[in-house]
Amino acid sequence: MGDKKKQKLTPEQQQYQQLEQKHELKRPVVKNCIKAFLVGGTICLIGQAITYFYIYFFNFTEQTAGNPTVATMIFISMLLTGFGIYDHIGQFAGAGSAVPVTGFGNSVISAAIEHRTEGFVLGVGGNMFKLAGTVILFGVFSAFIVALVKTLLTMMGVL
Amino acid sequence: MIQSINPEAGATNDFDDKNVKLAEKVKKDIQSLDEIYDVAVIAGKEDTLVAYKVKHMKRFGMKRIEKEINKKLEKNYPGENFIVSSDFKIFIEAVELRERMKDPAYSEKKAEKQLQRIISLKKEMT
Repeated sequence: MGDKKKQKLTPEQQQYQQLEQKHELKRPVVKNCIKAFLVGGTICLIGQAITYFYIYFFNFTEQTAGNPTVATMIFISMLLTGFGIYDHIGQFAGAGSAVPVTGFGNSVISAAIEHRTEGFVLGVGGNMFKLAGTVILFGVFSAFIVALVKTLLTMMGVL
Repeated sequence: MIQSINPEAGATNDFDDKNVKLAEKVKKDIQSLDEIYDVAVIAGKEDTLVAYKVKHMKRFGMKRIEKEINKKLEKNYPGENFIVSSDFKIFIEAVELRERMKDPAYSEKKAEKQLQRIISLKKEMT
């Protein structure tokens, strides 16, 4: 809390805050980071394995294997969310399970399940992309801007 | 993936002495680079396919390595058409084609067709 806000508090409130700070449990930042690192790394390891699966058994090169890999990973995380397994992973790993693309699938399906009781159109349809919608919107928009810049640079002959 | 296969260099037409020699020479040339640990070369009628693996920690400089190889090949073999790739898929396809070419029943025409398919695989982007 900023110093300015602290000054507005009454002496009793300040006293209480000091007391609270003494008893508050410290966030285990390092431990959380290690957990997130390990679980996130495991997810990426699975993704790499799927990439090599596509390279070995299908006609994908290293460059093109990324697209089906992402789709598969999202599909797996959607299934796991539906079965209620991904919630436990998310509870344990935090950002480690939210930052890779699997977090995207999770955010879509968990919102759909949550609003299922409100009906299919206004509930599921309206709320499914509550969180993932921003990702898609800003992803597409920034991709558009980058493509525009690249096109202009190529036309000018810089690239 | 990690281990070195070291496939023999070859040409789609085994009787074409010039192409066979060219492939062997190119392979030796590329192998002398420090950053690379496995090279597959297949010389076709017009194009020569060069696929290689880059050492793990050197993969940061992949673009630079590709440029270097292109420059080297252009300098040493003017007039030849090279397709250079560090892609793992291209590499395993090249090794497979080389294995198949050992079979005398596998005709030159088929090999050339397969080589063109690998080259088209390299060119597709998405």
